Amino acid sequence: MYEIRFHGRGGQGGKMAAEAYALAAFLEGNYAVSFPFFGAERRGAPVKAFTRVDDKKIRIKTQVYEPDYVVVLDETLIETQDVLEGLKKDGTVIINTQRKPEEVRLSKPVKCATVDATGIALEVLGRPITNTAILGALARATGRVKIESVEQAIMEKFGARLGRESGEKNARAARMAYEQTLVGTSQGGKEFVPRPQWLPDVHEMPIGGAIGTMKTEAGLIGIGSFVENKTGDWRTFIPAIDKEKCIGCRFCWFYCPEGCISMVEGKAEVNYDYCKGCGICAHECPAKAIEMTREVKA
Amino acid sequence: MNIKDLSDEILFTPGHTACAGCGAPPIVRNIMKIFGKDTIIYTPANCLLVFGGTYPYLAWKVPYFHEAFENTGACISGVARALRKQGKKTLVVGIAGDGGTYDIGIQALSGAAERNEDVIYICYDNEAYMNTGIQRSGSTPYGAATTTTPAGTKIPGKLDHKKDMAEIMRAHEVPYVATMSIAHQRDFLEKAKKARDVEGFRYLHIISPCPTGWRFDPSLTIEMSRKAVDSGMWTLFEAEYGEITNIYKPKKKIPVKEYLMGQGRFRHFTPEMVEELQRWVDHKWKRIYGEEP
Amino acid sequence: MIQKLERKKMVITGDYAAAYGGMISGAEVVAAYPITPQTLIVEDFATFVNDGITDAEFIMVESEHSAMSACIAAQAAGARTFTATSSQGLALMHEMLFIAASLRLPIVMPVVNRTVAAPIGIWCEYNDSMPQRDTGWMQMSCEDNQEVLDMVIMSYKIAEHRDVLLPIMPCLDAFILSHTVEPVEAPSSDEVAQYLGKYEPVAKLDTENPMAIGTFAPPEYIQELRYHNHMAMENAKRVIREVTRDFARTFGHDYHGLIEEYRCDDADVVLITIGTVTGTAREVVDELRERGKKVGLVKLRFYRPFPREELQKIAERVGAIGVYDRAVSFGSGGPMFIETRHALYGHSIPIMNFLAGIGGRDVMKKDVEKMFEMLLEAKEGKTSKEIVWIGTRGVTP
Repeated sequence: MYEIRFHGRGGQGGKMAAEAYALAAFLEGNYAVSFPFFGAERRGAPVKAFTRVDDKKIRIKTQVYEPDYVVVLDETLIETQDVLEGLKKDGTVIINTQRKPEEVRLSKPVKCATVDATGIALEVLGRPITNTAILGALARATGRVKIESVEQAIMEKFGARLGRESGEKNARAARMAYEQTLVGTSQGGKEFVPRPQWLPDVHEMPIGGAIGTMKTEAGLIGIGSFVENKTGDWRTFIPAIDKEKCIGCRFCWFYCPEGCISMVEGKAEVNYDYCKGCGICAHECPAKAIEMTREVKA
Repeated sequence: MNIKDLSDEILFTPGHTACAGCGAPPIVRNIMKIFGKDTIIYTPANCLLVFGGTYPYLAWKVPYFHEAFENTGACISGVARALRKQGKKTLVVGIAGDGGTYDIGIQALSGAAERNEDVIYICYDNEAYMNTGIQRSGSTPYGAATTTTPAGTKIPGKLDHKKDMAEIMRAHEVPYVATMSIAHQRDFLEKAKKARDVEGFRYLHIISPCPTGWRFDPSLTIEMSRKAVDSGMWTLFEAEYGEITNIYKPKKKIPVKEYLMGQGRFRHFTPEMVEELQRWVDHKWKRIYGEEP
Repeated sequence: MIQKLERKKMVITGDYAAAYGGMISGAEVVAAYPITPQTLIVEDFATFVNDGITDAEFIMVESEHSAMSACIAAQAAGARTFTATSSQGLALMHEMLFIAASLRLPIVMPVVNRTVAAPIGIWCEYNDSMPQRDTGWMQMSCEDNQEVLDMVIMSYKIAEHRDVLLPIMPCLDAFILSHTVEPVEAPSSDEVAQYLGKYEPVAKLDTENPMAIGTFAPPEYIQELRYHNHMAMENAKRVIREVTRDFARTFGHDYHGLIEEYRCDDADVVLITIGTVTGTAREVVDELRERGKKVGLVKLRFYRPFPREELQKIAERVGAIGVYDRAVSFGSGGPMFIETRHALYGHSIPIMNFLAGIGGRDVMKKDVEKMFEMLLEAKEGKTSKEIVWIGTRGVTP
């Protein structure tokens, strides 16, 4: 049996990718299961999905903790979390990036496959939907399933939902990715400090779960504690405010869903710790003082 | 009242986990600036419950409470009565979605309104059950595709029109009913302020466009609120004890088609469907403004 | 606040006793919806409010679901609350019962036991309260109207205890108690106020000290909270024993804890009863004793928490145990029978289940006699029957 963990963002189709891969493996006579992380994440939030493949019935129902393969649909995720967590010793990570494997810096050097799935998706589908292209790279990097099975699975799964033409386009994206995938070894040494979790035992657990505000070793909890949850890593686009043009009207301050714009000396200023990059501020700015650009992360 | 009169104090913090471009957080954050710290918040099951707080974290800086889905009217009644018994003047506010208001919550809401409980009930209306993945509600407009009214080859989306919930509440002859859009800043703030200051049952109904469920670019959320009003799909009014005291009439009425465009949930619309929705809007327009659109 | 009320004897219905108990215990917020045969409780409480005997907030809600929702909310805001319901109303409340218990809110709610449809009926059956077994509520049954009044007062004492903090439903039989008048002695308002003290919540909705109650929670937290609830229910056994002892000292009425034994000391067989059948069964025990039969009776007061330890002690000294049930868990047996067998695992004596009075059918002395007769046969090994339907036409017991 081997296990795959998919990292993406809510709405990017990581779950569909995990399911399509399971279907591809099934079409080759395997037994395969696929499931999302059962959370309540919203669109844009980092999410995970899993696939297990074996040549006999898979009975285990736990979540996947030590995957053989890790697939990263969104490059920005490797900056904020250790996607290699639990990856088996000889495991492989497959990343959607324009960079070569040797240029990717992770927590440790591992077998790494890279492909510009976003570029391929934009070229073939006209939209940056990468969940099919990445499957081609996965097939190439692992050699576990034939690309033909991946194509067939995509046509069945996506074709049924989006129409035959769309199914074929998505299959073509996978094929292109398969052909363009580079395999090598990543750099290591990138450090991550995992956010500690507050896990009270039964004696510490508040009665009925009621909480006020508490400072714990895991940070602030309770009333107003979301302020320590930095949602800036959800962002793909980033606003830049031209202070010269800003007229101090406060529209962006008022409309920002995060409430992460403040007024400093009469001018708007974004707190990027929270900004999810929705672009409302730019769209509503009467002075056209805010510009959204695709964010390039370190 | 103007947005420049609003304080900088935030009672619904950043770090919440709403989708990028969600219509609800700016509504909630700004309305809380008007309501102030002496407020207790109840939310039934809805997106706001989840993105505003997942144990042990919380965006709320005021007392916050949840019981279930269908009973917002009863829950805020219970809190308000207990506080009255304690001689406190705290504002008690329930914030429900359209599913929790139009559908499963209408009974408890109607009861609380009929008893004229001293509370504010807010319906933030994103026109479907977004929390569970875009299922239709009594608020979903005609024709819209949701996961339970998909644009199928036989049945093209929702067959029924949106229910006029604010009118139902107006018929309860409660002290205050107002419909709102955050795109209309001054109107929004004035109504929130009025709701804060009136005693008895107050019902605020606020359009809350949902980029995920309506399928539009998240930068257009406020634009959608604006266009909903300008097309007549959403009407801004105030009523006191059942009497309409103020109606906002768009300066320039736009065809409903302009509102539908750019929303994926209407992408399958045929000209006949556009016409049917326009007919519905025109009928409503005539009823409200007493004139042909 | 309530008016000063003197200690007095009244001839009142069970419903009045329940309402009076809630009122004199100082319930501050009451949210209720009328349903036969609980109606009198709501009417009586409304009268207390409208006559100024209490200044409790009375929310005349539009459903039982809202009644419980409003009580939970008011209790979460720091008020002592009271409500009452029955049958379909309790079924409609079901969802909210879990929430009251899991938020650890000591709400007191008399339940008038009435059959749950179909067919629609209004008479006594325990298929309304017993299916609420796993909601986390304490649940007990009263034998007479004095016990109803005393038990409502004691309910606050037990529920609000720091080691418990669970809601409780004292139950009374439809009509047999709810609409039947009998003499009841009520304590004075001063005595009750002194006995109960003020309700001090561990958490409440208060803008001076903001707290979150009922937040959406992932699996990392829920299992510990469930463990809390289980331990609170276990703690409740000790607290109930203490409270009943204390109540007997203070008010002179002794309810003996979770169960009451009647002539069990040298009994060959005992019958476990619940609710009003207990009174009838006492008569039967006396008559059989006169005829030389060594029979005894166990009045089971609490169904949750279940008096496992008490029943184990009795099982050590008798030859057979019968369990009377007024409800059926279809495909298994009577709810109390299931519990009793579970509690007495390892005891080799026969344990029989007697189903009677279903749908409110009267349970007669001859029916109880039949139960004892079969129990004595079981002790002698003359019958191996387990589940026996008494008084069902076409079915031989």
